[in-house]
Amino acid sequence: MSQSRREFLKSMLGTASFLSLAPAVPAFLQRAAWASPQDSSRGDSILVVLQLSGGNDGLNTVVPYADDAYGRNRDTLRLDARDVITLDTYLGLHPQLTSFKRLLDSSQLTIVQGVGYPRSDRDHDRAMNQWHTARPDELNCQTGWIGRAVDAQQGGSSSVPAAFVGPIEQPFALRAERSVVPSVRDLSDLIPAGGSAQAFGDPAVVAAGATTRSAGDNPLLATLQQATVTAQQMGAKVETVLSEGKSTAEYPSFTLAGQLQMVAQLIRAELGVRIFLVELGGGGIGGFDNHANQRDNHAALLRELSESIAAFCGDLERQNLLSRVLLMTFSEFGRTVTENGRRGTDHGAAAPVFLAGGGLRGGILGDHPSLTDLEQDALKFHIDYRRVYSTVLGQWLGYDADAILGARYETLDIV
Amino acid sequence: MLAIPQSQTERDSTGPSVRADSSIEVDPRWAWAEYQPDEKRPWNAVRAGHLLRRATFGASWDELEQAVAAGPRRTIDQLVHSPADLAQFEQTMSQDEEAVARASGIDSLRAWWLRRMIRSPHPLQEKMTLFWHSHFGVSNSRVNDSQLMLQHVQMLRLHALGSYRALLEAAAQDPAVLMSVGAERSPKSQPNEQFIRQLMEQYSVGPGHYGDEDVREAARAFTGWAVLRGQLRFLAHEHDAGPKKVLGKQGDWEAQDIVRIVLEQPTTPRLLARKLYRYLVSEADEPSDTLLEPLADMLAQQYDVGVVVETILRSNQFFSAAAYRRRVKSPVEFALGLVLAVAGDAPTQSMGNALAALGQNLYSPPTTGGWSGGPRWINPVTMIARQKLARAMLAEKGASDGALDPAEAARAKGCSTAREAAEWLLRLYVQDDLPEAVRTALLASVPDAALASSQDRVRAFAVEVVMLPEGQLS
Repeated sequence: MSQSRREFLKSMLGTASFLSLAPAVPAFLQRAAWASPQDSSRGDSILVVLQLSGGNDGLNTVVPYADDAYGRNRDTLRLDARDVITLDTYLGLHPQLTSFKRLLDSSQLTIVQGVGYPRSDRDHDRAMNQWHTARPDELNCQTGWIGRAVDAQQGGSSSVPAAFVGPIEQPFALRAERSVVPSVRDLSDLIPAGGSAQAFGDPAVVAAGATTRSAGDNPLLATLQQATVTAQQMGAKVETVLSEGKSTAEYPSFTLAGQLQMVAQLIRAELGVRIFLVELGGGGIGGFDNHANQRDNHAALLRELSESIAAFCGDLERQNLLSRVLLMTFSEFGRTVTENGRRGTDHGAAAPVFLAGGGLRGGILGDHPSLTDLEQDALKFHIDYRRVYSTVLGQWLGYDADAILGARYETLDIV
Repeated sequence: MLAIPQSQTERDSTGPSVRADSSIEVDPRWAWAEYQPDEKRPWNAVRAGHLLRRATFGASWDELEQAVAAGPRRTIDQLVHSPADLAQFEQTMSQDEEAVARASGIDSLRAWWLRRMIRSPHPLQEKMTLFWHSHFGVSNSRVNDSQLMLQHVQMLRLHALGSYRALLEAAAQDPAVLMSVGAERSPKSQPNEQFIRQLMEQYSVGPGHYGDEDVREAARAFTGWAVLRGQLRFLAHEHDAGPKKVLGKQGDWEAQDIVRIVLEQPTTPRLLARKLYRYLVSEADEPSDTLLEPLADMLAQQYDVGVVVETILRSNQFFSAAAYRRRVKSPVEFALGLVLAVAGDAPTQSMGNALAALGQNLYSPPTTGGWSGGPRWINPVTMIARQKLARAMLAEKGASDGALDPAEAARAKGCSTAREAAEWLLRLYVQDDLPEAVRTALLASVPDAALASSQDRVRAFAVEVVMLPEGQLS
């Protein structure tokens, strides 16, 4: 539904509809739904955040091919009606996104259009810092949005609420004040040397410790005792998943696909990790930052992106896990509407965010930003990125999004 | 084989009947009075091990024995006083570090700091340098200059056991400190408040004891100070020399006056005493203001940190149950403890990476609040990573190329069977102070065979011991 139609309906229905909806469900049923294990939005839902480093050209990803202003400004990069995968008479997908089209058709993909923030910053580091901290107004913000979500959890030393999966340095989004957020390069990182069974001593040693160490005496001893048991269990779960092999799922041979496959295995292992962060583009040269000769590089990245995500969703679906998983992409900015004379584009502003998973409404959310009403040659945003964060933190994970983001943001209709 | 007193008979009497439970109030005069060994609280390997874990990065068998023989007073004398060979060590080490800072990146510099921690003839100074590193929370991820980071840590080391007043004055003029909070510029027209907020919240009076107006006024006193190309400069035309009112005091305050004023506030010595207590005594409970008052009073006199650290280390409280194993070893303490227990050496470049993965990236603390430590170091993944690190370091070959081989260390101390080696390792790593059931189960898992034929088992046993909850506590 387009933004304007949504707004129109809202204004027609007015507040009466909200009043009529709220008390419709009896309180005891609400409580039951809350506690039900089927209620996937609480307790065992999982968020996978995928960072597209370098600034993805959203305009050539979700393409307003029928817009004259688009064709005029993209001399060499232009994708016309014959090139794109048509979504409607105005929008199409980049030709490498065939898998995204399949996901869209089965309501496993939502495209959120025009996501950004006020006074867009065109510097990579500062723009990425916006998305990572989600507290741009706080000078010198020390923590990332996911790191704060981790700090806010109650599991203490026996839980790992979030993890980075990948070989590069951890993105700042995971920076926590009071927690160590792990990086996983390989599943073997989560298996103690020599195997989990004997890693912390003979089972009799661990058992003797469990019966003799009590919290009343020394809380730190009890904490370590509990963490030892949990670590051993975690190692055993990962060993089991590894021994079962890489499932029957077919993943393409992209780096991102391998990392998402690892995430799928970690989800299957049920380690209690609620948020995974994965990255595409930052390990090599430039990533999505295509100032010159953009066409082929961008196409290759979009292919890696869509094929990898589709394989991940297919794998999880076969394992009946997809309804619990939501994947969201983000990039620090979109790119300029006009080409820069080097068959490339420069740093821009608003761009689409992709959401993939089993519990989604699917479809396209919001209108495509105008190509004539621009902010320094870049698209203007109409959905603040913190509304996306608020939605995935609050509605999807059941976390206190307002506390984590430091303010209240209107959520989006995605689930 | 040399014997050290075992703690079997006094497992439940490592201190007076002090509970970690803060509802039972300890008499502060007793708490900070000097510990005198007696029948109920004898000086032994357990207490010596406790002291050396806290005041150094780890102790060898010989050092444990020397401490047991020398008694607490002489052992602490040695720990707190600069040894004669410090100047020579400092000179050589600094030259190397400066060369590394110029030529290589921060990872190499990090490796050199770890090497310094292993070899320093004055480990307490190094331990306190690490305390201040966390206190100031200056990270190279903001400063992005190895030489400025080295200068910063050299400044911390110079004052590590000295005057906090001198340290804070130096910090206020340190380019790395200013850069780390985004206070490189402070023009008269728009005073930069970042350093002042950090100064008041984390270095001195503490949250709730100052207002926005104090920050605004104090920031005016720092106008004109700027960091240009890594150098501190004073731009007189950007300085606001007018009168300011800060924390109730009115005057034409300059930057150094602000430092003096925050140090005069009664909450400043309390904040510092609380941090020192957490670092040296216990992470398991929050001490009451009453308990900290004698330490805070001492600090308020001259801000002589060395005197307060010495008082803590000599105290009844320090040698009581309220302190014993009431800290979680930081990753640095965990890894260096493995090195120093066998008086060995280890390559520190890769160790620096491993410690970063465990959450303690030297030269890059996570926030300007430093490392929060305690149970925060621990989660199932860091537990597994600690196990893997210990296993790699204590292997016959590998991360440390056998230099830390516990089976070899046991053999060198005269152990001939695997069981003897296991018993010796229990005394070395945890001074044999374990719940009896755990100790029995541990030893039962070691075959009664010749050491030469069971070296792998003994090495694995050593990892199990250092991974015990008792082995991970300090």
